[in-house]
Amino acid sequence: MSSDSTIRQRRVPGGSGQAGAYDQDGEDHVNTVYQNPRARSQWEQLLDTPRASMAVVGVLTTLAFALRFYKINHPDQVVFDEVHFGKFAAYYILREYYFDVHPPLTKLLFGLAGWFVGFDGNFTFDNIGDSYTENHVPYVGMRAMPAIFGSLTVPAVYAIMKESGYSTIVAAFSASIILFDNAHIAQSRLMLLDAPFIFFMSMTIYSYIRWRKLRYHEFSVEWWSWLFGTGFWMACTWGSKVNGVLTVVTIGIAVLIDLWDMLDWKKNGYTMEHFWKHFGARAAGLIAWPVVLYLIFFWFHFTVLIYSGAGDSFMSPAFQETLIGNELLMNSQDLHYYDIITIKHKDTKVFLHSHPETYPLRYDDGRISSQGQQVTGYAHDDTNNHWQIIPTKSLPDWHQARIVRHEDVIQLLHVNTQTLLMTHDVASSLMATNQEFTTWPREDQTRYNDTLFHLEVVDGVIAEAWKSKSSHFRLVHVPTRVSMWTYSSQLPEWAFKQQEVNGNKNPTDKSAAWVVSDILETDAPVDLENQQPKEPKKLGFFRKFAELQVLMLQHNAGLTASHPYASGPINWPFLISGISFWTENDSQKQIYLIGNLIGWWASVVALSIYFGIVGADLLARRRDVYPVPDEVRNRLWNSAGFFVLVWAVHYLPFFLMGRQLFIHHYLPSHLASAMVAGAVLNFVISETINFPVSIAGRSTKMRPSQYADLGIRGPVITGLFIFALFLMFMFLAPLTYGTPGLDGDTVNAKRLLSSWTLHFAAKVTDGQS
Amino acid sequence: MSGNVRARRPASPPPGYGYPAPHKYPPASHGYSDADERREAAARGMGPTRAKAAAANLPGGLNITPGEWKLLVVILLVACSVRLFRLSKPDSVVFDEVHFGKFAGWYIKTRYFVDVHPPLAKMLITLAGWIFGFNGDFDFKEIAKPFENVPYVAMRLVPAMLGVATVPISYLTLRALDCRATTSLLAALFITFENGLVTQSRYILLDSPLVFFTALTALCFVVFSNEDRREPFSDRWWVWLAFTGLSLGAVVSCKWVGLFTIATVGVCTVLQLWFLLGDLRVTPRMWMRHFAARAICLIGIPIVFYMFMFSIHFAILANPGDGDSFMSSEFRSTLGRGMRDTYADVALGSEITLKHANTDGGYLHSHPHNYPIGSEQQQVTLYPHQDFNNVWRVLNATVDDDPQYDWANDPLEYIRDGARIKLRHIATDKALHSHEVRPPVSDVDFQNEVSGYGMAGWSGDLNDDWVVDIDHGSRGDRESGERVKALKTYFRLRHLMTGCVLFSHKVKLPEWGFEQQEVTCNKQAAKPNTLWYIETVAKHPQLHDDAEMVNYEKPGFIAKFWELQKVMWKTNAGLTARHAYDSRPATWPRLRRGINFWVKDGRQVYLIGNPFIWYMSTLSVLGYVAARGFLILRAKRGYRDFDNSKAMKYDAVLGFLFLGWAMHYLPFFLMGRQLFLHHYFPALYFAVLLTCGVFDLCTATFRPRVRLQIAAVLALVAIVVFARYSALAYGSEWTRGKCEAAKLGKGWDFDCSTFPHAYDQYKTAGATPHDSAAQATVGGEYGGRAPVAVNEPVAGAGGDAANQAGQGQANQAGAESSAAPALGAPEPGRDIFEEHPQKAMASKSVAADEAAAREREREKEDEEREKEREVSVVVQTPVVTVVSKAEEKVVVDEKKKETPVGFEGDEKTEEEEEKESEETTTGTDKEPEAETEAEVEVEKTYKKPAGPLGHEEQIADQIAQELYPEALDDE
Repeated sequence: MSSDSTIRQRRVPGGSGQAGAYDQDGEDHVNTVYQNPRARSQWEQLLDTPRASMAVVGVLTTLAFALRFYKINHPDQVVFDEVHFGKFAAYYILREYYFDVHPPLTKLLFGLAGWFVGFDGNFTFDNIGDSYTENHVPYVGMRAMPAIFGSLTVPAVYAIMKESGYSTIVAAFSASIILFDNAHIAQSRLMLLDAPFIFFMSMTIYSYIRWRKLRYHEFSVEWWSWLFGTGFWMACTWGSKVNGVLTVVTIGIAVLIDLWDMLDWKKNGYTMEHFWKHFGARAAGLIAWPVVLYLIFFWFHFTVLIYSGAGDSFMSPAFQETLIGNELLMNSQDLHYYDIITIKHKDTKVFLHSHPETYPLRYDDGRISSQGQQVTGYAHDDTNNHWQIIPTKSLPDWHQARIVRHEDVIQLLHVNTQTLLMTHDVASSLMATNQEFTTWPREDQTRYNDTLFHLEVVDGVIAEAWKSKSSHFRLVHVPTRVSMWTYSSQLPEWAFKQQEVNGNKNPTDKSAAWVVSDILETDAPVDLENQQPKEPKKLGFFRKFAELQVLMLQHNAGLTASHPYASGPINWPFLISGISFWTENDSQKQIYLIGNLIGWWASVVALSIYFGIVGADLLARRRDVYPVPDEVRNRLWNSAGFFVLVWAVHYLPFFLMGRQLFIHHYLPSHLASAMVAGAVLNFVISETINFPVSIAGRSTKMRPSQYADLGIRGPVITGLFIFALFLMFMFLAPLTYGTPGLDGDTVNAKRLLSSWTLHFAAKVTDGQS
Repeated sequence: MSGNVRARRPASPPPGYGYPAPHKYPPASHGYSDADERREAAARGMGPTRAKAAAANLPGGLNITPGEWKLLVVILLVACSVRLFRLSKPDSVVFDEVHFGKFAGWYIKTRYFVDVHPPLAKMLITLAGWIFGFNGDFDFKEIAKPFENVPYVAMRLVPAMLGVATVPISYLTLRALDCRATTSLLAALFITFENGLVTQSRYILLDSPLVFFTALTALCFVVFSNEDRREPFSDRWWVWLAFTGLSLGAVVSCKWVGLFTIATVGVCTVLQLWFLLGDLRVTPRMWMRHFAARAICLIGIPIVFYMFMFSIHFAILANPGDGDSFMSSEFRSTLGRGMRDTYADVALGSEITLKHANTDGGYLHSHPHNYPIGSEQQQVTLYPHQDFNNVWRVLNATVDDDPQYDWANDPLEYIRDGARIKLRHIATDKALHSHEVRPPVSDVDFQNEVSGYGMAGWSGDLNDDWVVDIDHGSRGDRESGERVKALKTYFRLRHLMTGCVLFSHKVKLPEWGFEQQEVTCNKQAAKPNTLWYIETVAKHPQLHDDAEMVNYEKPGFIAKFWELQKVMWKTNAGLTARHAYDSRPATWPRLRRGINFWVKDGRQVYLIGNPFIWYMSTLSVLGYVAARGFLILRAKRGYRDFDNSKAMKYDAVLGFLFLGWAMHYLPFFLMGRQLFLHHYFPALYFAVLLTCGVFDLCTATFRPRVRLQIAAVLALVAIVVFARYSALAYGSEWTRGKCEAAKLGKGWDFDCSTFPHAYDQYKTAGATPHDSAAQATVGGEYGGRAPVAVNEPVAGAGGDAANQAGQGQANQAGAESSAAPALGAPEPGRDIFEEHPQKAMASKSVAADEAAAREREREKEDEEREKEREVSVVVQTPVVTVVSKAEEKVVVDEKKKETPVGFEGDEKTEEEEEKESEETTTGTDKEPEAETEAEVEVEKTYKKPAGPLGHEEQIADQIAQELYPEALDDE
């Protein structure tokens, strides 16, 4: 029965009025005592004053700025993903179009920061290790932007905890886990997306909590402003990194749970009209408003980037023609019959090629071929890539009529061998399901039908002219409805390992798009119009936006190539491995992204304690034992539970993702786990809470209030913990700041886990002979 | 005890959990128990209302009337007649019988194989085959291959009978779920007449056993739950619980998909325990008993059963076979007689085979073929099979001028750590050699080529010297850490001159290296890939007869079991290649597309469901979800729908069936691997039962007669639809018109052109409606090649439709009909374990090989010529050479098809092969000789080996030419 007695020994503060019959003698008395805030321990009273709170948060913020700005000018070289994000900032300044998988907000801010500090954009951030000072890049100013956001994250965490009703010391505890975290610091000091992203995320959480606390003042001005505030920060989060979608999902789930509770007739007794009103308000503040903001970010993006640049080739021709100086815009010409052209496959960038060699009679697997002339894809310039467009109808004389148009039926003549491209119902050499492509002598009319191809310009309209460079098109064989297709697979030696071209049975296959690369000969008069620079075309914002969104999604999913520092999600909370950001061989300096071991492991322990408490409580309640008082329990479910939700939603989906994953993807979750750690610490050392924290409305039932009291234990434990955090931080600081250089043995000493792949480690002398 | 603890009503329920109020409205039939009775009942571990219920004969277990047994017999007869109808047709291999038939053959021949599925169903099929005298000789090579001497009907009977047995089980399950007899009868008929289930159960496939055991598990568990409600811990309770466990073991021993069934039962059991936990009258001790009983029977029994199946599997497959190469050396040593014991001591002069420790590439191997690039010396590779070409002799490298160190008579000298040795390849008399030349595939700076180099009678140069670095020895044998001992010592071989270490990795050489694994000398190697050990040591003349012998430590059952599980898992996850008929889970409930199983002689077997039953089941599932969701919302708004005992009952029944459907369906969405329509069948089974549950609910208020009439109409429609598609299930006669009319969607791609226009066309036996010609001409057109007659390889079926189509086109006849999608050809499901053709390169005599080498050189020249052609864009090339080149290629191809030599390295077969290959080469080699003679001369000049000791090598060449003039003559 020892377990029972420990349960009894728990000090149960008030708020258990309904169960009066079972109450112990002392409990009512306890209630009265605790309702008076002056009855708390002196420490708690001292720390709970607004002035003390301000002092604490002031110290934390100052420290945060100090730690994040310390030697921010070192290294004066391009570090890790600054290669990308620095480059993007330069593109904004030059206003050249680029393409990236992440939404533009943070990158716009980088561009803004660069512009503000006078970066001219003439540095390309090509390689990790390129020097900034030599190239006169005002990089400190650009790095300051994420550093400011990263520093502000610390008071944001403090405020979240404070608003959630935890005492000052617990809030300081959570904030200092972020404050002294090497990973957060390393990430904030460089031009990377994560620091702003994490700041926006914590502001979203903060606004949501403020809004939630106003739930008894529904539809008041404050209520509306915090609702739209939540929407605003949510849009910022989402607009700065793709992962921001997870924050949106978190808030979405919390709102759904909230709405579900609101439906409960027994509990609230709301009418359905009232419910729909709430629903509408949330839809406006948390869906419509953020979407508008998100669109605005992209509007800025497109408005700034008006020149042709590195990202052109990702976009559709229509999009590209809106950019000033784009090659398509400049060089795209109408194609005429009898032009000699080269044709390139859009995806694999090979030319349509043919040569006199024929397909072998019999393939290795016993199938036979037509033994016709080979048609292949070839990556290099060659006269065998030249094809001439042959009309299938009689042509009038004036040159306008000789323009080839969408849905024309054409033949293609291979110039060197004077044979016509054709396909027929013979299996291709590598894919038995696809048709073989070959050619046929021009003079021989027996296979005339098989040489006819239907020209389908992708997204073409009736009678649209076929243009070089800009028209993506498919060649669909008239008799068999297959379209000319190629894919990255080499033919055997007999075709000189060139790429196979065959007929795809799905005539509208996306990967069957080709483009005319060059016009080599044309008898059309050169029109003067082409000589002058053309005006960029216009394309609606929403069409541009939709195209870019689709591309971003596709490319994000396509990031599957392995990376030496990519790691699996299961390793993250335990800090199994970090990322090497930068190294300098001469001075043996390096930046290695790794978290503060103590902070991270404490968070993991806290999470497991949380799940243990909640699980045990559920089981006990099932057996009609109520070990945790209701207020405390509600705090565990609703407040800490929300933090756990944030943690889980920002972490678990990564297990399902096939793409490249890095440990910095865990940082948002780590932030949430720091807040869980605070909540758990509060529960473990005192089990008292500030209650109620929601602001009572007119019709709210009055509830007996109570106050958290950690006594002297709180400051002592937190102090010791922060000290340990600080020591660990100092120990790992050379890896975070990239200075000073370390000799081999020191590196070995800093390698706390054998899985950390630090550079410049001294050779471990093997005892074995 | 709980008196010490404050027990209160909570202020608000915890999110997500309602409070238990299950006993508020006991069904009227349960009667009422007073407090004493309830306490007494609780002491026995029962719910509050059960005492009365037990007394009132609450239906527990199978509760059916004697009349229904007669009905069951009738159902069984109907099911037999539907499922077994003309089971012997088609009398050729259908779909995945290609695999499972073959596996049966291997079981009977006791040759080890690996498959992604656990063994139970395969062993059942094998058992049937074995009883009826299958000797395992038939190879089930391709779809539509006619059976010869195979008791295939008996083998098909196993899945077919299990399919038949599923029918009464569905009846009993619904009865046990307290549905009416009419409903259960309807379910039985639906299961009987579901075309997909019928098709799948008629052939040697694993899904019918899987569905049977899934159904059996559901039945056992439902009956067990009934017993549990009546009286826990009774004898019958234990029996049904144990049966559930056994049946679970059987499901998962058929296919790993059975894990979903385990999950279904698991979720239900956790729910049961959760309710028991909330029942305060059940003491913790009693609860622990409930928990332990379920844990033992539902976790312990299945695991034991599953492992038992594998122990039988291992016991049967005692001999080496195709699956060897997937297993570790230790595992392989348990197959057949295993490896013979080998001598442990390795000394100068020992003949050894070296094995790479980290990859399963096999033995250090060399053969008389040269690298086509780099130094162009003899290839050194890793080769997985035992072979005389793997044998090397250890020689002393410290004695310079003594080529033949007299190991036979000098005192025995062990190979110790740091020893400097040479390795001599015995078959070709070349030394293991490395030099500063980049290897052929891993062409990077830190890798050096490893080759075989030298001459008989020439001791070689310094580049042949290797230093032995012992990494670790066996724990049990301290000596093995100090000197090299077979199987026990893991060591590196460091090249003396360049300091790199002998290395191999999972990179295959191209065709000229027979796709064997590349061996290099690496300066920056990852350690595991540089470790080698000695597998066999021939008897050293100096050793006594009683010298120490060693062998692999044979792994125990658990180790073998675990290793195989890992291999299966890895391969299963790797099954991602596309198949012409695979499909994604989202398309299954809509029955978008079937699978082509077999096509031959104007008949076709095509897996497609009964659209009526199929769509009904999907609609029921959707209807259930919608209704349940609506009820949840209503409950939230304070409506008391569930205070009705009828609602409670149907909620439990339909909830269970829906859970079964969801658990057997939704997890597939997480799987990236190749999936097929038949993966939906276990879920379909639950969906059909759910349909009947919905029927029971909808007709609950009708009079029995009306209910029966409705059921009869439904069953009749199902049977009519079944009949409409039955030709595809049975592979029987059909007409093109009916076939076209039966297509419901674009995705239903059974090929109607296989069927004749009218039934009487079948009477002209064997005539196919195809235009496929036995012989076709290709070429013979304008300006080019002479017509070539091509004998079509009798494709029958399984052969390429594309091929046929191609011929059709060449004929210019019926071009339109043959333009039908080439996807029409049936192909077997998955083939993963056969996709690693271990291209074996058996040892051959030097003479034969030189011929081959010359052949290859000539080829290379041709290639070069071709390359030139590619660069210069010349239009005209003589067609003649192209043709002759093609012929040459055929010859080479034939030569490359060597079979692996048996495990024991039987030398007789090798000799035979030598003769054969010699014959073939002498036969074919002569003709192109004249043409290439001049070029061979050129060859010789630039073929000079590129070793750093070029001068010495030239001298060696001269000596060799003097000593072996006949070698030159050959050229």
